[in-house]
Amino acid sequence: MIRLAAALLLSTSLAFPALAQTRGGTLVFGRAIESQFLDPVHTSQNADIWLSLNLYDTLLLASADGKGVEPGLASAYKVSDDGKTITFTMRAGLKFSDGSPIELSDVKWSLDRARTKASGGDFAFLLGSIESVDTAGADQVILHMAHPDPVILQALATFNSGIMPEKLVMAAPGATLDDKSKAFADHPVGSGPFMLTSWKRNTEMVMSKNPYYWKDGKDGKKLPYLDAIRFVIIPDDATRILKLRAGELDVAEFVPYSRVAELKADPKLDMELYPAAQTNYFAFNARPTLKDGTKNPLSDVRVRQALNYATDKDALIQVVTYGTGTAARSYMPMSTPLSYGPQPLYPYDIAKAKALLKDAGYANGMDITCMVLAGSQDDAAKLATLQQLWSQVGVRLKIEQLENATRLSRYNAGDFQMRTSLWTNDINDPNEITSIFAYYATRQNNRSGWDDKRIDELFDQSQAELDPAKRAAEYKEIQERYAEAAPIIFAFEVPYPVALSKKVHDFVQIPLGNNIFVNTYLDK
Amino acid sequence: MSATIAARRRFVLPPWSLLGGAAILLVLLACAVVPEYIAPYSPTNFDFRSLLQPPTLAHPFGTDNFGRDILSRTIWASSVDLQIAIFATLFPAIFGTLVGSVLGYVGGWPDAIFRRIVDVLITIPFLVLVIVIVAVLGPGLGNMYIAVSAVNWIIYARLMRGEVLAQASRDYAAAGRVMGYGPIRIIFRHLLPNAVAPVLVYWMTDMALEILLGSSLGYLGLGAQPPTAEWGVLIADGKNFMTTAWWMSIFPGIAIVLAGTGFSLLGDGLASMLRRGR
Amino acid sequence: MYVLAILGRRLGQIVATVVLVALLIFGLMRLLPGDPALMLLGDRATDASIAQMHHDLGLDRSVAVQFWEFLVHTVTLQLGDSITMRVPVISLVRDGLPITLLLTGMAAFLALLIAVPLAFVSALRPGSWMDAAIRTVAQISLSMPVFYIGLVLLIVLAAGLHWFPVGGIGNGFFQDLYYLFLPALTLALSLSAVLLRNLRQSLLEVLNAEYVNFATAKGLPRRMILTRHVLRNAWVSTVTLLGLNIGSLVGGAVITETVFAIPGLGRLTIDSIFARDYPVVQGLTMVLAIMVSVVFLLVDTVQVLLDPRMSK
Repeated sequence: MIRLAAALLLSTSLAFPALAQTRGGTLVFGRAIESQFLDPVHTSQNADIWLSLNLYDTLLLASADGKGVEPGLASAYKVSDDGKTITFTMRAGLKFSDGSPIELSDVKWSLDRARTKASGGDFAFLLGSIESVDTAGADQVILHMAHPDPVILQALATFNSGIMPEKLVMAAPGATLDDKSKAFADHPVGSGPFMLTSWKRNTEMVMSKNPYYWKDGKDGKKLPYLDAIRFVIIPDDATRILKLRAGELDVAEFVPYSRVAELKADPKLDMELYPAAQTNYFAFNARPTLKDGTKNPLSDVRVRQALNYATDKDALIQVVTYGTGTAARSYMPMSTPLSYGPQPLYPYDIAKAKALLKDAGYANGMDITCMVLAGSQDDAAKLATLQQLWSQVGVRLKIEQLENATRLSRYNAGDFQMRTSLWTNDINDPNEITSIFAYYATRQNNRSGWDDKRIDELFDQSQAELDPAKRAAEYKEIQERYAEAAPIIFAFEVPYPVALSKKVHDFVQIPLGNNIFVNTYLDK
Repeated sequence: MSATIAARRRFVLPPWSLLGGAAILLVLLACAVVPEYIAPYSPTNFDFRSLLQPPTLAHPFGTDNFGRDILSRTIWASSVDLQIAIFATLFPAIFGTLVGSVLGYVGGWPDAIFRRIVDVLITIPFLVLVIVIVAVLGPGLGNMYIAVSAVNWIIYARLMRGEVLAQASRDYAAAGRVMGYGPIRIIFRHLLPNAVAPVLVYWMTDMALEILLGSSLGYLGLGAQPPTAEWGVLIADGKNFMTTAWWMSIFPGIAIVLAGTGFSLLGDGLASMLRRGR
Repeated sequence: MYVLAILGRRLGQIVATVVLVALLIFGLMRLLPGDPALMLLGDRATDASIAQMHHDLGLDRSVAVQFWEFLVHTVTLQLGDSITMRVPVISLVRDGLPITLLLTGMAAFLALLIAVPLAFVSALRPGSWMDAAIRTVAQISLSMPVFYIGLVLLIVLAAGLHWFPVGGIGNGFFQDLYYLFLPALTLALSLSAVLLRNLRQSLLEVLNAEYVNFATAKGLPRRMILTRHVLRNAWVSTVTLLGLNIGSLVGGAVITETVFAIPGLGRLTIDSIFARDYPVVQGLTMVLAIMVSVVFLLVDTVQVLLDPRMSK
């Protein structure tokens, strides 16, 4: 009560809300997987991407709901009427974490590097619509667009648009830009709220407060609140949770779904399920024949639909995620902007499934082989459930256990019939997932070999469509056509399960998976 | 010589070790051969009405996170595990013993080559080698047998070679040579039976070790694949539930201990019988 | 002097062994299905990005060229760069090797500490209840999977009683000793069971050998017989067995390091096999091979010193 009164007094005198945020302290974060490479453009590993924004700040930041953008390093931006020029005004006095100023040339250099295929890695396509980057005056960065791009603002808030210090990268040892980037990424310098202070691979990584970060906290002083974050690598799930419960960790990521209920009941912990732009599905090979030359029933759309109807999503959700998942309504997660899914797809219906199979000439059932990740408890549970469910429509599901590397290369060669899959969005827009799942040119629609010319056409249009309503309509049609053709089993979405000590506040894992520590604080 | 034999006899293990070991293994063998008559439930069917139940009369070993009966899974697993114990060790034991006894007696350049092979294979950690071979061939038990066999015969050969070397220097081998017996007769009629006891003892230990290796591979995702029940995999399945559902891992663990005890008792018993039969 | 001669010969053999290990592991890694580029690119890989990655990693060159590079790397102790972590393999070795050495060394020491006295107690009174109890406990620890022993120790001694930290490593040597105690004990338990069984067996053999009987008949005090004859003879076989098991100790460290979140070379090797990080697997295997060879060399030397007959 006394604390409350004091807070009220303060708030009236300073016209601020209650000053709950305490400063200082080191957060200890238990990770399941180690980062590999801390260069914002040269990685496609989630473990790297999900920490990148803490080290490398971007011109714009994704808004809290993930659907829009807000100012970042740029305090303002203006899109020309034809959508072909975007002008950014940079904040004054910006500095990298080593204290050197962020020059306009750093911004231009970073964006140029990120958008060029040769130097920009796998995500260069996100910035592919930029024709050139110019600077003007003391604080203007101007993007000239090859064509209007509805996604460019989101792309500039994505990890690969992180601003890097040109001079430091070029001063790093190495003959080529690639070698220099490699050396730089070992001791990275950016302008995010934190900076890397030590990194012992496979052991721990320490990020401490960047004293030059620009953003103000609720107490009027510069963010972040934390002095440092210590990321500790603990690959074994059981050990990670034991360590959290022993008080040696403040946060443990990737809690197995089987333990969510148990940790929820622990009064010392907050068991959070952060909404995720993540979807579980089963990928089909829809080619008429398989690699070994046998006929593939999955090339028949009726069979694919039947299998979708024969899949009881609620049972899957119960068995695999202990009830934490939600049934899929589209191929894209529902938190993706422009996702369209009025209801869960293909509700469980044995009769319909049987009728469709009979139509397709498989009244006597068929054999299907699904490749799964060896040793994965989740995959084992998924397949055991599907085996039981599908046996009721005469489908004999065979399981092929493969180690990850083997599985990936077989999949990329199209040498499979069905596989378990998980997708996580990297950008707050439907274009990334759609280009992979439904746009044939990218990689034969997720290696399925299934093809829909109309979707390709719609996707091409949507990529240059500036009118939000028209773009939404295009995406609606794409999703409807995709759902009808069913080149996958639409399964379920899952949240990110993270367990935190009660003294941790305002940590968030956003739907794209990024861990955001800028507002995090610890009770003393 | 007679004094030694008399002294040995004082320390010979009573035959109960052989009988006890055989009895344990017979019970496990029964579980392995006709699990469907012994296990009260299906080992693979889910039952969502009884998830993670502690041991009760209906489920004496409790149920797992899919409602499967642990007792039934443990019983069904015995057939997989006895297979592992036999198939993962049969080839290495026989081949290794033969190679080892011949090399130990013959010596010379074949022995030198063998020692290079041993040096190479033994410097690469066993588990690493097995994992690479399993990864080349693909996960699963069959390939695990191949991987283990490719590496493990070395240990038997090394053991046997040492024993034969020791025995060959003894009087009776020299006596055999003096009497003009051929090397084959000396090796197989005289040296092998005398030297085989430590190998037999190790073989029995090895059976338990291979079951454990199966569980280590299971922990890394390369062993018996779910929903196949295998003791090591059952323990690995229970790993995440050790604080909340201890029964998931304890009972399969007891089964492994039991099997291991059975094998080593049998080994000790056989060894002492062989010694007496000399 | 002949000890030096043996050392010289063994050193030559070690070089031969290491070259053979290099060939074997390089060959096996190339036989593995899968592709490091795919592992880096994951589910987002496109044909173009895969081809680009192959080029960047130098995997589009011929196998012979790659093997030659690997040999050069090994000879110059460069070991190349990790594909996934993009750091020199040698720096990974520098970080991980001391930890793995300390872990396996502690484990071997603890195993001896447990096995030797118990084996004596057991062998001096075979068939007694002490013997039965010791052998039962040994059997149990031999039959439990390493990860299970590890987790039980963690739950009881670390999370429950707070005597030890829950995994990880410390800062500096002495803290490391404390952090690594439980994992070393985990490794030591199963090894000590193996040692115990064999040591007990060889003690029984020695105790029944003619010369001990003879010594007893001569009326030598029992303690003197034990130390002078029995221990000395049993010691040889124990050291041999320990040496033989160093490889499996390193293998067991793979699992222990995962359970206890210890950044040693064992875990790194396995992770790198799964990730198809060829340079790391090749480099680490070479380092481990050299290490184990040196241990064997030491074991041989100790044996020769303990028992000159072993020199042949």
